[in-house]
Amino acid sequence: MKNQYKLSRRRFLQAMGLGLAGGLVGLAPRFSQAGAGTLITKPIPSTNEHIPVIGLGSSRTFNVGSDPVGLDNVAEVMRHFFNAGGKLIDSSPMYGSSQPAIGYGLKKLAKTGDVFSADKVWTWDHEEGPEQMEQSRRYWRVDNFDLMQVHNLVAWEEHLKTLYRMKQDGKLRYAGITTSHGRRHAELEQVMKTQPLDFVQLSYNIIDREVEQRLLPIAQQRGIAVIVNRPFQRGDLIDELNGKPLPTWANTIGCTSWPQFLLKFVVSHPAVTCAIPATTQVAHVKENMMAGISPLPSKAMRGRMIDYVEKIL
Amino acid sequence: MGEWSSYSLSDFILFSADTYYRQFELYNQAVWPLHVVAVVFSLLIFYALWKRPAWAGRVISALLVVSWLWVAWAFLYERFYPIHVVADWYALGFVLQAGLIMRQGVIKNGLAELTNSSNRLSWGAGLLFIALVIYPFIAFVVGRYWKTFEMFALTPDPTVLATLAILLLYKSPTVLYVIPFLWVVISAVTLSIM
Repeated sequence: MKNQYKLSRRRFLQAMGLGLAGGLVGLAPRFSQAGAGTLITKPIPSTNEHIPVIGLGSSRTFNVGSDPVGLDNVAEVMRHFFNAGGKLIDSSPMYGSSQPAIGYGLKKLAKTGDVFSADKVWTWDHEEGPEQMEQSRRYWRVDNFDLMQVHNLVAWEEHLKTLYRMKQDGKLRYAGITTSHGRRHAELEQVMKTQPLDFVQLSYNIIDREVEQRLLPIAQQRGIAVIVNRPFQRGDLIDELNGKPLPTWANTIGCTSWPQFLLKFVVSHPAVTCAIPATTQVAHVKENMMAGISPLPSKAMRGRMIDYVEKIL
Repeated sequence: MGEWSSYSLSDFILFSADTYYRQFELYNQAVWPLHVVAVVFSLLIFYALWKRPAWAGRVISALLVVSWLWVAWAFLYERFYPIHVVADWYALGFVLQAGLIMRQGVIKNGLAELTNSSNRLSWGAGLLFIALVIYPFIAFVVGRYWKTFEMFALTPDPTVLATLAILLLYKSPTVLYVIPFLWVVISAVTLSIM
């Protein structure tokens, strides 16, 4: 009994210490599944609400139609995502049946109230926007969306007005805009400079770093949260790196696989709030979530990561 | 609509190969025993081409019309559209092709005379054999689960190939080639990207 008491007291003190440290550096006071490090969260600048740095994308992976086997697999991926501390799930009307699949998973897991729901409005006819968003909400089976983004800058002037109205009416918490594949960055820059955005979503990875030049600094200056899509170049980067050795120093930043290495690089940029890798596999979501456990690479380490990857690719 | 130029083809193929072929498996389960009807359609086409009765062109055209309409609704709209946001346009294209075949082949009897070109006859016969006989076994041969098989009159690719074969065999209006050729391109791009 005495030993047990000592152990539990030690764990209590460790937890207190980690909690204090976490509060100071933006880490949630939560033990990881592996028992080492803490779940890393970052603040949304407009509210200071913290969200975990690893989210979950749904493009391609959750588009399973009405296939009951596929829907149950989506729910399993989501279960492990939530179990590892995940919060933000991202989708779009463009992703086929991904939205109803997410809704199926949320209902099955009883997580409709816990998820940080991020969706998009994607129609050239801005008058169709509210109806489309309402249909998306019904698919998700949530009361309201946390974040609604204008997909790929489509009719963004009118859609943003709608999103701001929804925020004022209490039907939406955050408004944002997205791009991918490095498209239309000049236009996105103007939107970021002139609009009161809460979020911006863009493509960024260890190879495609153009956004470091202008968009990420603007996000920092303007207090806009950044969601990163395609952190693996839609899987191409992992395909290229598989079979190549991780650097021996990868374990010093808590990386035991290439996906973790690539994700840690992305989310360690000071302007990045979270990344949204997508997967159909439970093993992959568990691996991805481990990239959201401290430590994060320093600026110097990030440079070393770039050098190493550019050397072997 | 200038925004369309910022998209690439891969942006619209937002499903995996596994999901795509799983649709065929689920579809085959759902429409059974319509496969028997599809086989009857194929046998009728072979019989009509072999015996060449006066009604051959009209009946073959009518079978094609039914096939294109069925594929448009049951596969493209009901099964493919939920995972592919532009498949409703594909379905519309198939309905349009059904209308064209109805007008040219059934009403105008435009497929009444076989071609004189031996090349076209050879290509047409070969393509028809592939579409009606070989195609259902391709899934098994290439290592996919056999229940993902595709059949003429039930799924797009063999239906389109059979149509092209029949158009080659007959002296047929050029307008009937447009949509089948477009589909060949769309399908090839989809299969290569996903």
